[in-house]
Amino acid sequence: MVRSLLYVVGGVLFGLVIHLVVILILPRIAENSVYTRIAAMDALNKTTLLPLPAPGEPNPLHLDPDMSYALCKLQLSAGPGELTGTLPFSFWSVAVYDNTGAVLYSTTNRDGIGQTLDLGIFDPAQTRLLAEQKIDISPGLLIVEARTDEVFVVVRLAPEHPSMRARYEAQLERLACRNIAI
Amino acid sequence: MRFLLNLLLMLVVALSVGFGLSWYALSDGRLFGAQQYGPWTTWTRAGAPDPDPYTRAFITRNASLQLGQAEGLQLIATADSDGRRLERACRYRVDGHTPTSTFWTLIPVDDKDASIARPDGPPGFHSNRIARANDGSMQLYFSKTLAPLNWVELTGDGPFSLALTLYDTVIFSGVGSSETTTLPSIIRESC
Repeated sequence: MVRSLLYVVGGVLFGLVIHLVVILILPRIAENSVYTRIAAMDALNKTTLLPLPAPGEPNPLHLDPDMSYALCKLQLSAGPGELTGTLPFSFWSVAVYDNTGAVLYSTTNRDGIGQTLDLGIFDPAQTRLLAEQKIDISPGLLIVEARTDEVFVVVRLAPEHPSMRARYEAQLERLACRNIAI
Repeated sequence: MRFLLNLLLMLVVALSVGFGLSWYALSDGRLFGAQQYGPWTTWTRAGAPDPDPYTRAFITRNASLQLGQAEGLQLIATADSDGRRLERACRYRVDGHTPTSTFWTLIPVDDKDASIARPDGPPGFHSNRIARANDGSMQLYFSKTLAPLNWVELTGDGPFSLALTLYDTVIFSGVGSSETTTLPSIIRESC
């Protein structure tokens, strides 16, 4: 009886190890992550509007139907990335994600940016070159350092009224998303 | 023979504990990375640049676009304030105030995160488009049958969830530590 109890205790301890391994390796082995969903969209070096799901349709990215979304993928191995343009006075926010779906950086237009989005994304090597002034960038560029070369940026824009959505989304689509030549 | 039985017992316990605990951590998650405030649950570190391992695993499993910490926070309720599962056959009143934010949305969704509001109406409530009491409080109704004041008509059958998204919020910024106590309650009125 005591021996069986010891096996149960051993099983619990082994189970805790399995649990820790599952939690730690899941982000590396998952085949259906947000990045794989994003990778299927044609948004490399260009701004693409994310279609909002119709009522009753699955919404795997958990998009808020009251918002408009623009997506841009960047491959930093081809050079630093930038996302620039002008957005409406309404609330908007921008988030930079790495290839695990974690948010590397986010901000909103309430943080003193105003209407102009001028975002530069650099990997650690490019940030070093930037610090050594070996890369020319436009003044006022908001610099974000990414851990990985595969990143994507999502801009969320809140139309104040549903009737303004089409005009706001046209402005979202005009955002320039590209690599900076170095 | 006894050794083999004990070994089998150990394996069964290990696999049950290992995978069961992992499933719980990434679904309910309250003992790990998720926080609960009344009926509302949220993963507070989901929008952080350096999420802890549990939150990182949650982000992977969830596979959705998380809001960055500066952008806002999403809270989910799957049960009312008395702990009973939200059912579309019942009428619910969301009552009270919300934490300080630039604006918020409150959407009824099914298990695939699809809006279950009437297709030709608004998908849910928007803070700029609701009627409030003189003290700023709100009473929002979700039901399949007609309700007073602010009402979103539900469709379909079965359980549902409420997704409250606070944009540009100070809920966990340390500004006003009682912000989480201002989350609204969810009251089941009738079924």
